[in-house]
Amino acid sequence: MTRHPTAIDDESLIAALRLASGSDPVPARVTDAARAAFGLRLPDATTARPVATPVPRGVRSAEEPRLLRFTAAELTVELEITSLDGLVDLAGQVTPCPEAGTLVEIRTLHLTESRALSPTGQFAVTGLPPGWFSVVCHRPGDSPVVTSWTRIRP
Amino acid sequence: MVLEVPVSDQRTIDAVPVDDQAAWDALVTRFTGLLWSAVRAYDLSPADAADAVQGTWLRLLESLHTIRDLDRIGPWLFTTAKREASLLSRRHRGERLVADPGEHANAEHARLAPAGAGHAHADPALTVLSADEGRRLWQAVDEMHEPCRSLFRLMATAPDAGVHQLAGRLGMPSGSYGPTRGRCLNRLRTMLTAREATP
Repeated sequence: MTRHPTAIDDESLIAALRLASGSDPVPARVTDAARAAFGLRLPDATTARPVATPVPRGVRSAEEPRLLRFTAAELTVELEITSLDGLVDLAGQVTPCPEAGTLVEIRTLHLTESRALSPTGQFAVTGLPPGWFSVVCHRPGDSPVVTSWTRIRP
Repeated sequence: MVLEVPVSDQRTIDAVPVDDQAAWDALVTRFTGLLWSAVRAYDLSPADAADAVQGTWLRLLESLHTIRDLDRIGPWLFTTAKREASLLSRRHRGERLVADPGEHANAEHARLAPAGAGHAHADPALTVLSADEGRRLWQAVDEMHEPCRSLFRLMATAPDAGVHQLAGRLGMPSGSYGPTRGRCLNRLRTMLTAREATP
């Protein structure tokens, strides 16, 4: 049996001490939320993964919108994120523009907002709570595309 | 137990262990304590720690279809949780509105994928996190001199105490806390290595 304690980083060692001390139990709401996450599963969806967007380093701020781009094989979802008074606004663009009838769902852990896609492939949602979110494109007659879960912090 | 299903057939594996709520709950029960401890080691608040743990489960959720090797779920979750926590603790320094686009997601996929290459190489940290190793760890701590012994006890039992508070309770200047903690951790690692040489 091979073990390599010397390879263990500080955080893991501290984690081991805390776990073994039993003095920092998992709050029930953390376990409950983890269980509930299964309800967010979309088994037949394709996941659009984040790709780098040109953001100048070191100039992020609350006032500047942040652009995120997610791609799946056949679809790109771009999101512009802004925040106001601790809430989050999303403006999205789906390309190439999917057929008419495509519905977009903006999901957080606690609520889901639905939007019909505009003829040019755009959608917007305002006043979302900060935290984890993902966007689902439900295309008529095709499997949904879902963006990878992303965290927006106030 | 869910994780002991034989890993033999692709369809079987896809159907197990996480295609229903009960199987998912079993994973949650088994690993949430581990993940909580992992993210709390980053000096995150309870709210941020909860956020990091939840993010870890969401990552697993979107990677479920790639799971081939059930033995890798534990190490994968642990590594992912540490990364989420690390991102979160870095984000605290100065930035307000930030999205974490999960740039590591693809890299993490590689670890869940099978490639049929030998057995999973468990994260050494996971070994330490087993109950037996935990007892060993605290035995080692009990043999340590001050301030390490008190430092570790405080760190474990007052996870929300800040550096100032911990330093104060140890009677040292705040600036000394970090270096002292580093020295104590190194000493503990050395002790564990020595024990391994002479079981």
